[in-house]
Amino acid sequence: MEVSVIGSSQAKIWKTDLAYRELGFSDLRDVGKVFSAKNRVCFGQSTRWRTARFRFALKAVQSEPLRSEKVSVATRRSESHDGVRLFVGLPLDVVSDCNAVNHTKAIAAGLKALKLLGVEGVELPVWWGIVEKEAMGKYEWSGYLAVAEMVQKVGLKLHVSLCFHASKQPKISLPKWVSRIGESQPGIFFTDRAGQHYKECLSLAVDDLPVLDGKTPIQAYHEFCESFKSSFSPFMGSTITGISMGLGPDGELRYPSHHRHAKSNKIPGVGEFQCYDKNMLSILKQHAEATGNPLWGLGGPHDAPAYDQWPNENNFFRNEGGSWESPYADFFLSWYSNQLISHGNRLLSLASSIFSETAATVYGKVPLMHSWYRTGSHPSELTAGYYNTSRRDGYEAVAEMFARNSCKMILPGMDLSAEHQPNESLSSPELLLADIRASCRKHGVDVSGQNSSASGAPGGLEQIKKNLLGENAVDWFIYQRMGAYFFSPEHFPSFTAFVRSLEQPELESDDLPEEEKEVADSLHASSESGAHMQAA
Amino acid sequence: MWTVRMEPMLQQCHRESPRYGLKSKGFRPWSLNCSRNQKLVFQARSFCNFRPPNDHALRASSTALAETVESADAFFKQTFPLKQTETVEGTIFIRLDHGKNNWNWELTVGCDLPGKWILHWGISHVDDVGSEWDQPPTEMRPPGSISIKDYAIQTPLKKSSSPEGDTLYEVKIDLKPISAIAAINFVLKDEETGSWYPHRGRDFKVPLVDYLQNDGNIVGAKRSFDIWQGALGLLSKMLRKAEASHTDGAGSSTESRDLKQESRSLEGFSEEQPIAKQVAIDNSVTVCVRKCPETAKNFLYVETDIPGDVVIHWGVCRDDTKKWEIPAAPHPPDTITFKDKALQTRLQPKEGADGCFGLFTVEEGLEGFLFVLKLNENTWLKCMGNDFYIPLSSSSSLPAKSRKNLSESAQILENNVEANQKGSISAYASGIINEIRSLVSDISSESQKTKTKEAQESILQEIEKLAAEAYSIFRSPVPTFSEEAVVEAEELKPPVKICSGTGTGFEMLCQGFNWESHKSGRWYIELKERASELSSLGFTVIWLPPPTDSVSPEGYMPKDLYNLNSRYGNINELKEVVKRFHEAGMRALGDVVLNHRCAQHQNKNGVWNIFGGRLNWDDRAVVADDPHFQGKGNKSSGDNFHAAPNIDHSQDFVRKDIREWLCWLRNEIGYDGWRLDFVRGFWGGYVKDYLDASEPFFAVGEYWDSLSYTYGEMDHDQDAHRQRIIDWINATNGTTGAFDVTTKGILHSALERCEYWRLSDKKGKPPGVVGWWPSRAVTFIENHDTGSTQGHWRFPRGKEMQGYAYILTHPGTPSVFYDHIFSHYRSEIGALISLRNRNKIHCRSTIQITKAGRDVYAAIIGEKVAVKIGPGHYEPPSRPQRWSLATVGNDYKVWEAS
Repeated sequence: MEVSVIGSSQAKIWKTDLAYRELGFSDLRDVGKVFSAKNRVCFGQSTRWRTARFRFALKAVQSEPLRSEKVSVATRRSESHDGVRLFVGLPLDVVSDCNAVNHTKAIAAGLKALKLLGVEGVELPVWWGIVEKEAMGKYEWSGYLAVAEMVQKVGLKLHVSLCFHASKQPKISLPKWVSRIGESQPGIFFTDRAGQHYKECLSLAVDDLPVLDGKTPIQAYHEFCESFKSSFSPFMGSTITGISMGLGPDGELRYPSHHRHAKSNKIPGVGEFQCYDKNMLSILKQHAEATGNPLWGLGGPHDAPAYDQWPNENNFFRNEGGSWESPYADFFLSWYSNQLISHGNRLLSLASSIFSETAATVYGKVPLMHSWYRTGSHPSELTAGYYNTSRRDGYEAVAEMFARNSCKMILPGMDLSAEHQPNESLSSPELLLADIRASCRKHGVDVSGQNSSASGAPGGLEQIKKNLLGENAVDWFIYQRMGAYFFSPEHFPSFTAFVRSLEQPELESDDLPEEEKEVADSLHASSESGAHMQAA
Repeated sequence: MWTVRMEPMLQQCHRESPRYGLKSKGFRPWSLNCSRNQKLVFQARSFCNFRPPNDHALRASSTALAETVESADAFFKQTFPLKQTETVEGTIFIRLDHGKNNWNWELTVGCDLPGKWILHWGISHVDDVGSEWDQPPTEMRPPGSISIKDYAIQTPLKKSSSPEGDTLYEVKIDLKPISAIAAINFVLKDEETGSWYPHRGRDFKVPLVDYLQNDGNIVGAKRSFDIWQGALGLLSKMLRKAEASHTDGAGSSTESRDLKQESRSLEGFSEEQPIAKQVAIDNSVTVCVRKCPETAKNFLYVETDIPGDVVIHWGVCRDDTKKWEIPAAPHPPDTITFKDKALQTRLQPKEGADGCFGLFTVEEGLEGFLFVLKLNENTWLKCMGNDFYIPLSSSSSLPAKSRKNLSESAQILENNVEANQKGSISAYASGIINEIRSLVSDISSESQKTKTKEAQESILQEIEKLAAEAYSIFRSPVPTFSEEAVVEAEELKPPVKICSGTGTGFEMLCQGFNWESHKSGRWYIELKERASELSSLGFTVIWLPPPTDSVSPEGYMPKDLYNLNSRYGNINELKEVVKRFHEAGMRALGDVVLNHRCAQHQNKNGVWNIFGGRLNWDDRAVVADDPHFQGKGNKSSGDNFHAAPNIDHSQDFVRKDIREWLCWLRNEIGYDGWRLDFVRGFWGGYVKDYLDASEPFFAVGEYWDSLSYTYGEMDHDQDAHRQRIIDWINATNGTTGAFDVTTKGILHSALERCEYWRLSDKKGKPPGVVGWWPSRAVTFIENHDTGSTQGHWRFPRGKEMQGYAYILTHPGTPSVFYDHIFSHYRSEIGALISLRNRNKIHCRSTIQITKAGRDVYAAIIGEKVAVKIGPGHYEPPSRPQRWSLATVGNDYKVWEAS
């Protein structure tokens, strides 16, 4: 890391030198000066480089003994509170699409601050579109390896999220070669009723079709994961403790049913079914024919509302007598949600087989489609692919699938509460969370939490604390996300207070035994480090 | 005894390796007055085995201090380049006088600034119309001239001296009073920087013929020469004055009569124009750090070749957060403390050479020495936008020593380890460990509650400090912003004053709506969400839909001009959206419909021509020549729009009201400029009146009429069409640009029929408005009328990106249609915009069409970007630039010079 920083700044100097040499050269007023300037530039460069490399070597030697010491400190930290383990997400664009670490200095300072604060680790989004950007099978891990090294040096843990989707803000695309294929075959993308493609991840219908230059997306994901595992093998299990498998839009196991609604819309609409790409339609057709209702296989429900519309703006989701209760709807919705669960199963079994021999745990993320939860039909969940209504438990099958693959589940939205949701949206994040977690408990699936990435939901930290400290507390939480807002004076102090209140729920009551344990640990740590110093 | 030598590194810039030597002979007693009464004496040590110094370095440093002594141990030495730009002002002079004999005239063009000046010039013939140039006859061309295409030549200026002995660059052109040359046109170019120096954004023009006289008019002693800006005649007042006084002084009537007998009314003149040129100045600063092994102090020697007074603003830091601290006294002489944060020391002048130096002693245990140089109150020199940072950590000097003497090295090693434990700042990881360890030891020594709390407090303070640092970096959108980059951007701006209504020249428009946008009823709210996205795509100006109360939902049939509640949203939402775009760094254009207005009441004949709202005009505000609306005003000054009463702009009260309304929109809503609807309907002079009053940052008019066709096939020559648009811009006095409808039309034919030769006019320039008056041409390929759901004149389907590859690389100000931005073209458009911005293509960039064939068109713009459109093959020439492919799409490619 050190070298890359020095190297780039030197390169910059070199470039400007060149520029000014050109200018200077034609300056007729002072020829002598020009030539001396030229000499200076050329002469200086080589020596400068040598020194830079030399200095790096020294530093690497220095940090060696210190690292082993760090590990002991880290273990002490995690022992000291066996409550919740808190992670903080790194910026989505921590690695730029040319594989440089963005804002290196800020990341370094931020990691240090988090470490001192007692945070256990950080979450690192790893993008398909950055690592395998240029051509299939050509992986470039250097940027992410640099981040992993920074994290390891500070003594934090790392949770890696493998992102097989694209991001709008900041703009991170799918790999170029995938987008190119998509230009000619838009059928690889999810498609809505109006024929609009959602180009931020591949449709689950092509999972096993050889659409990527003869390979199936599952094969491409598989090779990506293998390459990740071998490139990061030095970190596996020690620094990297968990891996989230990207399952769909925003990494979540769902259909992109709500991608058309503008974020600030106060009331999100019901979303739309995404079953209109040609492969989905053909699977649907086969399925309908197989079940003896060929006419049901021609498309999705004709009477579903549009993205921004409310449930009773059309017939399908209507509370009283809506067609969601009809046999056709049951046929369609079962098929639609089963497709999603099979897709999740394919990816999670892939991930757990690849990473099973490492000590890292595999996670998958399930969305919290909480708006309209208090209606009968739960339209937002239905369009997203969860056949969960007031009469049917849709999360059982999902939890069972997670259990089968011994994966843990990440649930976002732990900062949301109904009182801060617009009342008209009939939303209830807490009830839905409880619903999903009940299914998970039944199947023995561990649940980890995350806040919704929308920065600063009102009362968010309080709500998170409730989820972390109350009954059935989750024991692991990813807080999203490091960046300007995170460190801003509006946010960071409250986050600090939040973390401290988690660590020591009763700061005022003198909890002496705890204290003594820490002292003993630290004594141990310091003597250990002393030994290392001597050895060095 | 041996001595430490602080040698001034006058001409060196390399950071030397730690092994850099001590002179093995000639140790002499020496003292260094770095702090007032302290005498530093160093003892020689047997373990030192230093190389003899480099001869080259010795020679180079010969101009230095008397007390220069050889280095003991220079572990850091580096020269940093310092780049400044300075604006040098001078004059361009143009002189017309008699040459060697009285029959010949001689035009002298010169400049008193140094540079590699080129005169880029051409002539106009007597019977020429328009602003085209021709090449001068061969006998007129001074030696050394080069032809540029078939319309101009370039002649280098020669160095000479003025009578006062100053260096001048000038060129002389002989004029024989025979050829029918009407005028000489030129601009100056500086080959060194590639900058053009036109006359207030236009060519310099020296007319040689009195047009009026040729027309047969007999005029007395009239002004017979002029330096003017094309047809506009936008003369600075200063220039008029100068000319006037000159005419008064030199214009004797006899002389002018004599000249008239030669049917030429030439008068000699001499004219001067101010010129400002950005000149790069390079200096350097060299820093050398030596360590005194005895006292463990560091000596810093700072030297620069900047002439004049230089103040070094400096401090030290204890860790790699680079937080400035003031070191302990004593400080060097001539030092003041600056706001308790830094020291300022005036550097001492060097004897016998330009530049100055300073010597600083720094205690051990400090990690770095930070400084910036201050030349005056406004000029600070930094290192790539950051403070100069000189590491003082002594660890790097370790190997050189330890090799030599074991016992000594052991000792040093110990010291070093200790230093690591204390400081160990450069590797932040160790910093954390130390902090934790020190806290731990605090806790273990006193396991009392209070102590723990103190420890927690200090951890929290540290966390806060780190968070603040991270915040400050994250908050700035661009990680580092080097001074050079900023300067470069400034340099490349055309050195002309920004005319009202044309923006900076680097504008990029986004048409922020389509024909359907009114349908949601909340367009302003929806568009607001896109502000940062559009801004990040590189747009600088957003064109918002017509804001007024309107009979048609799209807004182009305005009723009450002061009622800004429309189908796009209400007035508050409008203010919000404008504010949001301003926050995103973009300007907002209001779409104002001035040609017509819908009435609210009928007159006594039942005709709708009585207006309502705050501007309750009656039928006197309506033009008289449209029978539908029974107006009582004057006849229309333009074409009629038949669906609504056309406003009579010749009425003073109408113009006053419109001026007030536009100013109100500027102030109340915050609009920065205008998109003027249907300006064919009234005289451009009225538009000038409105724009002068409302002073927009940017304005563009819609002058849309049909191109010329013969037997259904579009003519190659669309000069008449573009001339009509140019005429309208002229009528507005150049206060506004106009949509380049000509370019759109020609692109249609070229792309649709695969006739790419259409994209070059007879003179080898772009065939649209952009070829004639690029700074006023707003190029576009589609808008809400031509495309969207109306489709009145849709761009050839599927070929939109070729159109964008053309307008986004070419001069003129491009405008991108909303529907295209939010379509699958988005990433391609984004790539082209960023390419345009990256290469600093602006509305006046030069263009050279390199190919215009049947199936391919190619051009090089600003010598930095090459583009081709069309299915045919094209590769840019490999000289003089080297090209690298920047972006490729369906039938287009764009290269950047590398």
